[in-house]
Amino acid sequence: MSQAQGLERLFKALANHSDLIAQAYYEGVVYKDSKNQRALNQLKQLKVLVNHSIDGYRISGRLGQFVDSALSSDRLRRLDTDLASWVDTLEQQILMYQDAWDENRIEDAENYSAEIERVIFDLSDNLEENTSYLLMLINSRFANVRTLAEKKKQNVFYISRVELLVQAISSLRPEYLLEMVDEHPALYALLEEQLMRLLPIYHQRLQDILDKLKTFLFELRKIEERAQLVQGFAFFLRQNPSYDMQDWSEQDTIPEQWNQIKPLQLTPSADTQNYAVEDELIAIVQKLRVDSEALLTKKRKPKINKIELVKREIQVMELPLYRKWLRRYFVLLEQQAGQGISAVSFQQKYVQEIEPALWLGCVLNEWLRQQQRHTKIKMEFIQFASHAAFTGNKKVKDILLCWHE
Amino acid sequence: MFESLVKRLLQGEFICEITDEAGFQYLQNPENFFQVEDYLQRLNYRLASTQNKLSFYAAYIEIDNAARQDIRKVFQQFRLELHPVVEWLDMMMACLKQDAVLSPGDTLAFSSLLQIIENNQALADRLQAFAKFKDFTSNEDSVKGRLEKLLSTLQKWGYLQLANRDTLIYQVTGKLDYFYQSLQFIQEHEEIPVEQGEEESAQETLF
Repeated sequence: MSQAQGLERLFKALANHSDLIAQAYYEGVVYKDSKNQRALNQLKQLKVLVNHSIDGYRISGRLGQFVDSALSSDRLRRLDTDLASWVDTLEQQILMYQDAWDENRIEDAENYSAEIERVIFDLSDNLEENTSYLLMLINSRFANVRTLAEKKKQNVFYISRVELLVQAISSLRPEYLLEMVDEHPALYALLEEQLMRLLPIYHQRLQDILDKLKTFLFELRKIEERAQLVQGFAFFLRQNPSYDMQDWSEQDTIPEQWNQIKPLQLTPSADTQNYAVEDELIAIVQKLRVDSEALLTKKRKPKINKIELVKREIQVMELPLYRKWLRRYFVLLEQQAGQGISAVSFQQKYVQEIEPALWLGCVLNEWLRQQQRHTKIKMEFIQFASHAAFTGNKKVKDILLCWHE
Repeated sequence: MFESLVKRLLQGEFICEITDEAGFQYLQNPENFFQVEDYLQRLNYRLASTQNKLSFYAAYIEIDNAARQDIRKVFQQFRLELHPVVEWLDMMMACLKQDAVLSPGDTLAFSSLLQIIENNQALADRLQAFAKFKDFTSNEDSVKGRLEKLLSTLQKWGYLQLANRDTLIYQVTGKLDYFYQSLQFIQEHEEIPVEQGEEESAQETLF
């Protein structure tokens, strides 16, 4: 994509998504949803918006400053001031926010809170950009000159910039600032997350810059061209994360370095007609057989505990004699339904082997069992005359049963 | 030697002093070179080398439609590799505090790199940022895990070779020569602004 095309794409995106950009500018953050997700991603790629939180985006520092300037906003900070003065601004804004909060001036407090948020993000953006840019310059250019005059000019340039960064970072007093917003959890989290957590990284970059400065302050060095190429390219990619190289494979003439074959998968097969290698093939096949057997062994199905239906001899249990006669007695009752049959008379006629008293007990039990299934058999006790002294006792001399449909 | 060398070339490998010292030496002999070249020509291939002759690979003699299809696939892989490999090379310069980029044959000791990165928050942050690239996402949330992932992916892509498994010493392969050549080409033909001026006005205003 040419620079002109890139510019056109940027302006189109600004125009098409002006509502989202305005929301980010005035409200401080735009949250992602199903409708704006694509537009937000595009604006982020173009560095119009940057991450605010996991699902929120804010306007980038530079664009915010440009809008401030274009609208002559009262938010405008003087750009010619150094970063250290922005830290002073931050402290003042926090104090004013606290006053507004204490005096219950809600609207003022909200305005100060929004301004504090912007200062924090601006500071964070600038420290990130300046430390990484200066580190890249010092790695790829510093002391890589031919004359002493050039070297002196360079020294002045780099030392002055390092001084400004050191002042800015030194003026950030993390504990003091966090203590100031201790009672305001949202501001505390913002300060901690967006600025304080990143301080060690900025410190480290400054340290690396200083190390290089000390080493080459009075020396010249020769940085190889490839190193400059890689450093410059890496910086370009960091600045343009959405960069995608041209598809050179679609050109009419493909550049030499991309003329490269696609890796082939080589899978040779044995020539079984070639007797010269017969012995080798036999040896391989024999080995394969062993392998196959081994594999088969492994794959052999495990034994299954088979469940078989075993035919068992049926043992016919002989019914006891009294059960046989009970069954006959009750069958007779059903056959002669409506007619009472005396248990004792049945016993005397058919079952002499069983004593009358035992037989009566068996009949009584069977009748009770049958009662659980149905109540078609009515029972009547035939009793002996009761004794005057024992009126509660019953002495049964016969049982009369009768089947009723 | 001829046989194994040709097979490796056909499988798309870069033959350099690191990945195949004997094969690379074999190709230094003009007679061997022409033998391999002659064989490849019968398949519409030829023996190509990087600018500095630090590695050899197989290329097409004539690019017809089928060859174009294959080249497209190889190119897509390079496209995928460009961003992370540039970032890795730049990061290694910062780690090793040197003014030269890695070159074929250079060694990287895992333990030394780990120690440097663990003691430098800015480098640890850069290492963590590799997670945004495909193939570099590590399940382990530690500097060690991320560094292992970085080096193993570069090994898989052919830029590094594990020279010593016990001490985890990696060696840069000749494929990197090919990468620099391609990077140079892109920078020149796409006019990527890699030269950063010290007096750039945009930066001046920030201070």
